[in-house]
Amino acid sequence: MIENKKYWKGIAQLNDDPVVKKLEENEFVDKLPIDKLFEENDLSTGNTSRRDFLKFLGFTTAAASLAACEAPINKVIPYVNKPEEIVPGVANYYASTIYDGHDFASVLVKTREGRPIKIESNNTCANARVQSSVLSLYDSSRLRSPMISKVESNWDSVDKDIIKKLDEIKENGGKIAILTSTIISPTIYNLIDNFKNKYGNVVHVQKDSVSSDGILDANLDYFGIRKIPTYNFEKAEIIVSFGADFLGNFPGNTDYAKQYVEGRNPKNKKMSKHYQVESNLTLTGSNADHRIQIKPSEQAGLLSQLYRYITKKSTTIDSRISTIGKSLLESNSSIVLCNSNNKEVQLIVNAINDYLKNYDRTISIRNHTNLQQGNDQDLQNLIYEMQAGQIDALITYNINPSYILPDSDNFNKAMSNVGLTISTSKYMDETSINMDYICPDSHNLESWGDFVPYNGVCTLMQPTINPLFNTRQFQDSLLKWSQNSISYNDYLKDTYKNDWENKLHDGYFDVELEKVPLKQVKNKDLLIKNFPIKKNSNNIEFCVSEKISLGDGSQANNPWLQELPDPLSRATWDNYLTISEITAKELGLRNWNVSNGALNGDIVDLTLGDVTINNVPVMIQPGQAIGTVSMAIGYGRTNAGKCGNGVGLNVYPLINGGEVVIEKVEGVHEFAATQLHHTMMGRNIVKETTLDEYIKNPASGNDHDKFLTHEGKKRANEVSLWNKHDHETGHHWNLSIDLTACIGCASCVISCHAENNVPVVGKEEIRKSRDMHWLRIDRYFSSDMTKEVAKDQNASAIDMYSKMEDPSVNPEVVFQPVMCMHCNNAPCETVCPVAATTHSAEGLNHMTYNRCVGTRYCLNNCPYKVRRFNWFQYSDNDAFDFNMNDDYGKMVLNPDVVVRSRGVMEKCTMCLHKIQELKLTAKREGRKIKDEEAQTVCASACETNALVFGDVNDKNHTVHKLRKDERSYDLLDHLNVAPSVFYQTKIRNKS
Amino acid sequence: MQKEAEIRDPLIIGNKTYHDITVDVARPVEGKANKQWWILFALSFSMFLWLVLAIAYTIGVGIGSWGLNKTVGWAWDITNFVWWIGIGHAGTLISAVLLLFRQKWRMSINRSAEAMTIFGVAQAALFPLIHMGRPWLMYYVFPIPNQFGSLWVNFNSPLLWDVFAISTYFSVSVVFWYIGLIPDFAMIRDRMSSKIAPMKKKLYTLMSFGWSGRAKHWQRFEEVSLVLAGLATPLVFSVHSIVSMDFATSVIPGWHTTIFPPYFVLGALFSGFAMVETLLIIMRKVLHLEAYITIKHIEYMNVIILLTGSLVGCAYITELFMAWYSGVEFEQYAFLNRATGPYWWAYASMMSCNVLIPQLYWINSIRTSFIATFILSIFVNIGMWFERFVIIVTSLHRDYLPSSWTMFSPSFIDIAIFLGTIGFFFTLFLLYSRTFPVIAQAELKTILKTSGSEYKKKLNKNNE
Repeated sequence: MIENKKYWKGIAQLNDDPVVKKLEENEFVDKLPIDKLFEENDLSTGNTSRRDFLKFLGFTTAAASLAACEAPINKVIPYVNKPEEIVPGVANYYASTIYDGHDFASVLVKTREGRPIKIESNNTCANARVQSSVLSLYDSSRLRSPMISKVESNWDSVDKDIIKKLDEIKENGGKIAILTSTIISPTIYNLIDNFKNKYGNVVHVQKDSVSSDGILDANLDYFGIRKIPTYNFEKAEIIVSFGADFLGNFPGNTDYAKQYVEGRNPKNKKMSKHYQVESNLTLTGSNADHRIQIKPSEQAGLLSQLYRYITKKSTTIDSRISTIGKSLLESNSSIVLCNSNNKEVQLIVNAINDYLKNYDRTISIRNHTNLQQGNDQDLQNLIYEMQAGQIDALITYNINPSYILPDSDNFNKAMSNVGLTISTSKYMDETSINMDYICPDSHNLESWGDFVPYNGVCTLMQPTINPLFNTRQFQDSLLKWSQNSISYNDYLKDTYKNDWENKLHDGYFDVELEKVPLKQVKNKDLLIKNFPIKKNSNNIEFCVSEKISLGDGSQANNPWLQELPDPLSRATWDNYLTISEITAKELGLRNWNVSNGALNGDIVDLTLGDVTINNVPVMIQPGQAIGTVSMAIGYGRTNAGKCGNGVGLNVYPLINGGEVVIEKVEGVHEFAATQLHHTMMGRNIVKETTLDEYIKNPASGNDHDKFLTHEGKKRANEVSLWNKHDHETGHHWNLSIDLTACIGCASCVISCHAENNVPVVGKEEIRKSRDMHWLRIDRYFSSDMTKEVAKDQNASAIDMYSKMEDPSVNPEVVFQPVMCMHCNNAPCETVCPVAATTHSAEGLNHMTYNRCVGTRYCLNNCPYKVRRFNWFQYSDNDAFDFNMNDDYGKMVLNPDVVVRSRGVMEKCTMCLHKIQELKLTAKREGRKIKDEEAQTVCASACETNALVFGDVNDKNHTVHKLRKDERSYDLLDHLNVAPSVFYQTKIRNKS
Repeated sequence: MQKEAEIRDPLIIGNKTYHDITVDVARPVEGKANKQWWILFALSFSMFLWLVLAIAYTIGVGIGSWGLNKTVGWAWDITNFVWWIGIGHAGTLISAVLLLFRQKWRMSINRSAEAMTIFGVAQAALFPLIHMGRPWLMYYVFPIPNQFGSLWVNFNSPLLWDVFAISTYFSVSVVFWYIGLIPDFAMIRDRMSSKIAPMKKKLYTLMSFGWSGRAKHWQRFEEVSLVLAGLATPLVFSVHSIVSMDFATSVIPGWHTTIFPPYFVLGALFSGFAMVETLLIIMRKVLHLEAYITIKHIEYMNVIILLTGSLVGCAYITELFMAWYSGVEFEQYAFLNRATGPYWWAYASMMSCNVLIPQLYWINSIRTSFIATFILSIFVNIGMWFERFVIIVTSLHRDYLPSSWTMFSPSFIDIAIFLGTIGFFFTLFLLYSRTFPVIAQAELKTILKTSGSEYKKKLNKNNE
């Protein structure tokens, strides 16, 4: 082709003019540079035609674009040999135990394809922290191998080193200390004993992050046993708690919430009466029938007076607690408990209970709990010995002393005198970072174990996954260092060899009650000291508090917990100084909302004794006693991991409380709260009544809005414009929420996060009111201004509503879990232009993520505002560097629930996937779904049975009866959206 | 020949001939742009580029780049949408309704008013698209046959009605506008020299659809205009009624209001006329059209603004009354919160800009002043934007459950997108003013002999 072409310079050349030929004979002919052009690549002889070229072009373009369109490949590797118990897509449950030195729970672990993905309770309450620990398993900040002087090593060389050094210490007659949190495992005690036998001079010291020495020592004096009793709140008619947060954080409280609520069932026409005398508003206090605000320094005096009043030694009693005194005397059974860490005060409490004959009726010292047995004196002695250089080796387990000790510098200094320091921490935490050897312990879900949390009960822990990292559980390390070749697994099996399989299957079993020889103190009165009531000083007193979410701070790197709103302040990712509005005004401290609604607060310097904490944010907390301030421990970690570091401030140095000096400093703190408005604004949202009223009329307080029609007044659902769905045939799933039983503990919230892959969005996004929680627990404070008050005062509507926004100084508190109401006349369904949200035949409101284009109209039109929009891509996005942006963290995701992408709306599904799974199982087995078999995770996580889920068409189901109950009501029933979730009125036992 | 009463003010000032009108209208198209035009264009175009970047960022990162939250799911996006749609209404009213009522004063302003409609609706149409979480799936909202099984759009959803309402409105407006443009394009075509500007000549030839000015053409032109005016007239009322149903059919206190359809239509006309005034007062200066857009035109529009403004005021008061009269505490609180809550300033801006300030038009000297009108028209534009903001944000931010109450604050992107649409609008309008005959000259010529000032004088003399 190309070579056939003829190139010419002019017409003369084309016409073969002789002149051209003549010119070509010249020396320097000016030829066209064609040859040069074609000689490269031999183009002149090439046979690629223009058409070929276009074909190639077309093919490569198509191929390139096809290749670009290909979806990323995720490899699914099949089992070569399928483990017998694993069926892909089917969950396995294992009974196990979670215990981290602070929280205890006997649990069921749900695993999918060998991955634990959810923790459910097994016969005891599994609180929010226990449930969240499944995410801590997949924490990529955990240590991945043993370390020598912060350099990664291997177990062989670490063990060799340690054994060699321990042997040297033994030969030199040195002393070894083992510092742990409270150990409740009999085998660990045995292993420590073996270790002692091997190395001789070994001391074991236990220390709890929040010390319970007061109550322990009091019981030692009073009963001769250093243990904390167990309480039976169900049997108590009167409960008087002086600051003890037994529903939130209290040693051995795994079942207390359940008992407490069982003792307060209005159906029995009887409820316990609960008085709470405290300074900072605790979860327990917020549930009390009567709450009395005191300063911490007044506690001892009031208790002392109460004791003298009850024992008729005196008739004077402070007016604040006079009703308590009277009702205690009148009652048949009661419980008095106190959070004081002062032995003398706890002795008074013991004496009161003893006088009221509560022991062995509502309080059992024989069935004591083994949780929290730490001894501060032992620790103090250890630190002295360490300072004196008398300790040659220190082994720590389940404890982070450099963080939890008030004077951690002192401890660190003392530790530097110890020759050999061995940490078994899972993290490079505040203590481990200063230690020679780190032999990382495995997570609870990777370990074996046995526990005796209460006298007479033993629970077992079994691994549900192979250790993710090169870690080894402490027990194995102890065996190794005792030069015992047996593995802990075998050791444990040997210990419980009778009926091992069944024990392991159940997860708990009864053991022989340890006989407690109770000391009979002859003249108990001699033990009781009299405290005067302190004169009211103007000084501000400080006491620490503990949050439901972070607890003692050991799980600070868990983003679920960091983002779990505090039940009372509703703030996330923070701790702060809670202060009464009146005290704040006196000090000139303010909270205010900025233009996007987010809460800001002033900053202060807090000084207690010689300790000053700078730049402490202040939050005005209704219910905080005047003249007191409080702040939660568990924050201010410096070596927790990427989520926990630098969140909040560490107040362990102030744990003992006392009088503080507060000084306002320059600056503003930005809070991230999920609820910014605290009162019900006079609306009938949480309907409540008193027990007396309830007994007279079970429907009391449950007024329904009625509308005038030509046929008289009617309820909204009787004048409906909607075409009714047929919900008579088949299932109709309903959820009942009992507001009397809900204590606001938030276990359901975490349970929902874990089950439904709810993303964590971080502090900044929460501040923008963009939390993704499918289930929230609204908390409302009562206000001094009500419609009745406004009528009396003749206040204008503007005045009334503006005053209604302010909570009372000592408010009544209500908790209201709110999730998608699954309306049967759903406002969201009608407005979606693409029908992405639709109604099911079983009364549920479905959300089709694939179809959603994200107009957010459904969100706007939802009267309950339960829909959550994916503002950003929350998974695999470095801007949201939480568990969903982490290969390990993603392992916690539930494969049954899709991870939502950016731009779609999401919301509670009523655990549709679980219902569907159940229906398929029932179908395969050719049977109907049994009662109570269908469960949402919030309902199954609820220890107080406040949430009951089921088929309302099943006449025998509890939920059917609850639907018909006089107490049941639909939230915002005047809208006639006919929700499938309904509430039971809140009933208080107050006069 | 038609005669006009003496007392009617002339609509064309000066001793204009037919040819003068032709020259005046064709001048901006044929001549070079002046400095003012370039300055305005540079400003608008840079704002438009800002819009492009802001939209790209939104689609790239997510709606989270706006200030919205779990309680306030719509804010500036839908505020802007309703605002722009409302602005469009005056154009249709002027060209269709006033045509049916044979109002001659519309002739010199209808072209630009309609251009404003189309450009305004184009801005408005952006928002339903970009406010979506997944705009790339926008086609889900159209009832197109698909392979997703039995999936179909939800005809119960007011958002779907919006889709139909806006697309109908947009297409009818464009057709109506274009029909009117044909004789004028033909005029420009005829004046163009194919030697000097061959491309332009070709373009205008193409655009004038072979218009030859024959009697048959004129007859058909008149007929089609009338038919389209008849079609467009109900749209003036339907579009904003349907837009208002986005809110009226919901359950949110402050949205759930039966007064919304007429209230929104009035508000739309109100804001539309204000925007027409804003544009025309600038345009008559920049393009030297003082002879054709007279103070009389402005005064007529001011009267409409006064009327619609007062009616909108009535609607506001009615809403407040109904909230109180309903006895529903949620409803009552919603309106109390508007006036006295954290967004009181928005409500106050709305009330003063929309109800109080237009009352100044009772004063003759203000009603017949270009400068005063220009300032007042800006106020009305701002007020109407606030009206939509008040309806959307203050209703949402405190609805039924106080636990969800929060507030809204716009992000940088929110602001960029709003200002960007203004830039886009002016970019389109400025391009239009340089390429299109901005006055319907063919129509205007029909009233020259009856409403031109010199002709009226002559007529009067003859009568004497």
